[in-house]
Amino acid sequence: MQEIIRQLDEKRAKARLGGGQKRIDAQHAKGKLTARERIELFLDDGSFEEWDMFKEHRCNDFGMNADHVPGDGVVTGYGTVNGRLVFVFSQDFTVFGGSLSETHAEKICKVMDHAMKVGAPVIGLNDSGGARIQEGVDSLGGYADVFQRNVMASGVVPQISLIMGPCAGGAVYSPAMTDFIFMVKDSSYMFVTGPEVVKTVTHEEVTAEELGGAITHNTKSGVADLAFENDVEALMMTRRLVGFLPSSNREKPPTIPMVDPADRLDFSLDTLVPANPNQPYDMKELIVKMVDDGDFFELQPDYAKNIIIGFARMEGSPVGIVANQPLVLAGCLDIKSSIKAARFVRFCDAFNIPVVTLVDVPGFMPGTSQEYGGIIKHGAKLLYAYAECTVPKVTLITRKAYGGAYDVMSSKHLRGDVNFAWPSAEIAVMGPKGAVEIIFREEKNDPAKIAEREAEYKARFANPFVAGARGFIDDVIMPHETRKRVCRSLAMLKDKELENPWRKHGNIPL
Amino acid sequence: MFKKILIANRGEIACRVIKTARKMGIATVAVYSEADKDALFVELADEGVCIGPAASKESYLAMDKIIAACKQTGAEAVHPGYGFLSENAEFSRRLEEEGIKFIGPKHYSVAKMGDKIESKKLAIEAGVNTIPGYNDAIAGPDEAVEIAKKIGYPVMIKASAGGGGKGLRVAFNDKEAHEGFASCVNEARNAFGDDRVFIEKYVLEPRHIEIQVLGDAHGNYVYLNERDCSIQRRHQKVIEEAPSPFVDPEMRRAMGEQAVALARAVNYESAGTVEFVVSGATKEFYFLEMNTRLQVEHPVTELITGLDLVEQMIRVAYGEKLPLSQTDVGINGWSMECRINAEDPFRGFLPSTGRLVKFQPPAEVDGQVRVDTGVYEGGEISMFYDSMIAKLIVHGKDRNEAIERMRDALNAFVIRGISSNIPFQAALLQHPRFCSGNFNTGFIAEEYPQGFDASMVPHDDPALLAAVATFARKRYIDRAVQIDGQLAGHGRKVATNWVVVMAGTQYPFSIRPIEGGLSLTHGDTTYDIVSDWTFGDLLFKGTVNGQPICLQIERRGLRYCISHFGLQVEPMVMTVHAAHLLSLMPEKLPPDLSKFLLSPMPGLLREVSVVEGQEVKAGEKLAVIEAMKMENVLKADCDVTVKKIVVAPGASLSVDEVIIEFV
Repeated sequence: MQEIIRQLDEKRAKARLGGGQKRIDAQHAKGKLTARERIELFLDDGSFEEWDMFKEHRCNDFGMNADHVPGDGVVTGYGTVNGRLVFVFSQDFTVFGGSLSETHAEKICKVMDHAMKVGAPVIGLNDSGGARIQEGVDSLGGYADVFQRNVMASGVVPQISLIMGPCAGGAVYSPAMTDFIFMVKDSSYMFVTGPEVVKTVTHEEVTAEELGGAITHNTKSGVADLAFENDVEALMMTRRLVGFLPSSNREKPPTIPMVDPADRLDFSLDTLVPANPNQPYDMKELIVKMVDDGDFFELQPDYAKNIIIGFARMEGSPVGIVANQPLVLAGCLDIKSSIKAARFVRFCDAFNIPVVTLVDVPGFMPGTSQEYGGIIKHGAKLLYAYAECTVPKVTLITRKAYGGAYDVMSSKHLRGDVNFAWPSAEIAVMGPKGAVEIIFREEKNDPAKIAEREAEYKARFANPFVAGARGFIDDVIMPHETRKRVCRSLAMLKDKELENPWRKHGNIPL
Repeated sequence: MFKKILIANRGEIACRVIKTARKMGIATVAVYSEADKDALFVELADEGVCIGPAASKESYLAMDKIIAACKQTGAEAVHPGYGFLSENAEFSRRLEEEGIKFIGPKHYSVAKMGDKIESKKLAIEAGVNTIPGYNDAIAGPDEAVEIAKKIGYPVMIKASAGGGGKGLRVAFNDKEAHEGFASCVNEARNAFGDDRVFIEKYVLEPRHIEIQVLGDAHGNYVYLNERDCSIQRRHQKVIEEAPSPFVDPEMRRAMGEQAVALARAVNYESAGTVEFVVSGATKEFYFLEMNTRLQVEHPVTELITGLDLVEQMIRVAYGEKLPLSQTDVGINGWSMECRINAEDPFRGFLPSTGRLVKFQPPAEVDGQVRVDTGVYEGGEISMFYDSMIAKLIVHGKDRNEAIERMRDALNAFVIRGISSNIPFQAALLQHPRFCSGNFNTGFIAEEYPQGFDASMVPHDDPALLAAVATFARKRYIDRAVQIDGQLAGHGRKVATNWVVVMAGTQYPFSIRPIEGGLSLTHGDTTYDIVSDWTFGDLLFKGTVNGQPICLQIERRGLRYCISHFGLQVEPMVMTVHAAHLLSLMPEKLPPDLSKFLLSPMPGLLREVSVVEGQEVKAGEKLAVIEAMKMENVLKADCDVTVKKIVVAPGASLSVDEVIIEFV
């Protein structure tokens, strides 16, 4: 017995060392933490329960039978974040470059299966050179096993991916199917084909960082949701994200004690919308002044900035915020912003998180690049997402709500539960200038008449009352009471029940 | 007494006048430009009349419109505030013709004192010390050089109609005199429509000390002590105080009597200020000019004399006698004023415009803290007018107490959305030379020759700020561990040892709860912090070891942005293990911005002065940005070649927007 315990201690010590001190030092030299250090940081102190520490690969080709490291390049198990259960896997770059073998994949699948059974999030810390080439098709099969579980878990338990090193080739598709991707600047990259292949095929010269670094995916591709300076920040901020999410789709999102009074008034909001309808303003100010403690966890802040998405709390309960941003492209909807918001709305809907939508949208972005790019189908994604969404939906129109974009942005017609407007709201098919040019086409050459018609149109439509008269707006509220009114609406909607008709699944315009 | 008066001004001074009028039971009329329609003073006044577009020339300087507004509203008198038409003799005369009282001196007094050359002659006649100089208009640059040589360098070349630092040059040699004269004439012509300039001796180690006088229509005059306005940045006053740490009673009496003599010489009826330049070496003082209006910094005089100067101006204008004689005037304690400007001290004091996302001045305490302001949270700081948004005035029993109060008040002044000079003011209030009282008008230029940056803010106890960050973090954690859905019996164990990472230094703390707060120990020092601070509060108020503390704190990601006494830090608070792991992370260097010309402020790109491919020498003009009515020329820091012009002239720029890319 003594001997077994001694062996156990030895095995544990060996497993903890992963690929050995030299490789650990090399990992640190690259500005990266080890797989275990990352887990320690991410989870509550001392809460990690490790599984499959002694699992080893079964490959005998290319001399692999002589090279075994317990754990096989991924550390898996569960633990807690502020006492709440989460499952984790953390790829160990010091062991075979974190490459994915059949057994490595089995370890990941095991925690995912458990997460599904008990209903808890899965957080994957990715740092892998790719497939274990020596294993050939076994490795590919391993990837697919993980992919299948990602898909099965989608909408059932939250899945978060942190990219903390390389993630290339087929490996990218596991994170791609998770709910959120966080990347670390300068030490992580994701791409389907690397710079060498790119050079051979398309003759483009590009660095790994330019092709798939954190900045690229957070500004250009929209693949990632946030970028962090280093591993420590990424992991600590991921804990904060977890605090907004329910453990599974069977639960409501977690609440915390609320101190910010629900009836807090903010009179500075009365002057937020400028008198000139063409002058922009920062919608984030409204978000920050409306939500609990001014605390807004924004996602994709540097991508499609014409729409803002992120989590906050109202009276202690999480909400998803979707808001047009007049500061960028006048807040219009285009391909990127539609996709960005649509995916977020669907996440909230899947996980019972109410959606608060703040609307100031002049319409869809015109132009050939948008039309050729398929804005019809991409814009429809957001429409579809809002229409299918059954969680509480509270909408506030601060200024413009023009045309089809008005319909899309969580309007009454798409089962918006409570739809508010500020007195500055203008709900119409289009802005006065464009409308008059169409309605009064024959007077086009008479500037005096056109000006008169514009004033007429403005008086009729540049206000929230026409929509109010039809019940499309439930109430016109003063900006300073926004928090109070939205809090109350959400409280009223707490036990909302609404179900869509049974079907295998809808056919969202992908 | 008047039933209704009109205030021909805007901003804080309009609010200030309205306050006193209201106290006296007088109705008020605000006149405002289109840019000011939502301004606080319009809101406060009983009536408002819009008098034209934003440009001052078409509104606040438009006499016809203001007189029409008086007639329209039945205002019996006009208070002009400072600036705009306050020292315009014609305005005063025209009001008189219309039978409207001007709350200020008579137009002949204004006219005599408004002309620098005329006023100097009058001063000499009245027995007032004046600076050696040449008092007649000068024909051209060559004559200017001759005169300068006669007086002896250094000399000062100044526009007759000048003021506020405009149209002023100092020359140390012939060449500078020649050039200075030319540019001074140009500036004077553009700014004042009057290109006469004069030359005088430049006083070394000069202090700017001014005497507040008050006269009535019955030949009574008093001086209300001095104000020391030596803390100036580019001839703009930054901090003013009363009394002056430099003036003794005898000197005060001498200066005061000369000031009264001058006021008497022009039959001065109202509040006015006689400015002196005082040599810090010899204590000799020379008359500079008389400001025939209420000064920006009048509150410091009010706080040490207990008088309401606006009230006195109104009473005098109505024809009342002064309620006091010279023997009644005393000095009660010490008062100090900081001008709070919408400018960014870390970017060369460039003007900052935009929305006041947060504006929460410190609480006013009678006899201790006073805030004169014309803006409000959610208001807009436009580019059309002066950048001063508030005056923070404190009073204490002595200078040290006033300084303490000012430091505390600055700590509690919350401004977000635009930049303010509060960090700079706070740094000045901590500066040993300022605290000693031994300074002159060159103080800021001498102490901050390369401008101001964050490293120039001293703080004697940075560990305290680290302790506060830990306190805040602990509050967040205490709440976070109350979240729903925990594994029962497996809650998070919260550490008692924490490490604050701040500006590259680690501050380890051990913590234990105490009544109402936390006891935090760092090395040999223990901070017992008690505070009811809660999430989202920008002001952190409480006590540290029993002493009150007030600072500003804001959580941004993992960082707690804290500002205290002008110092801004962004600590992170982590477990011992996390701090160790963080220390393994590489230090990331900020990106190389030298390859770009970035917009230092929001504004309009007026001009790009170079073309792509052009080689530019250091100091050459690259672009011109217009902000706050000012044209700001951006010059090359070093020799560069233009690679790409990123934005075209006419574009509106945000801060740090790339204008030009260099090779």
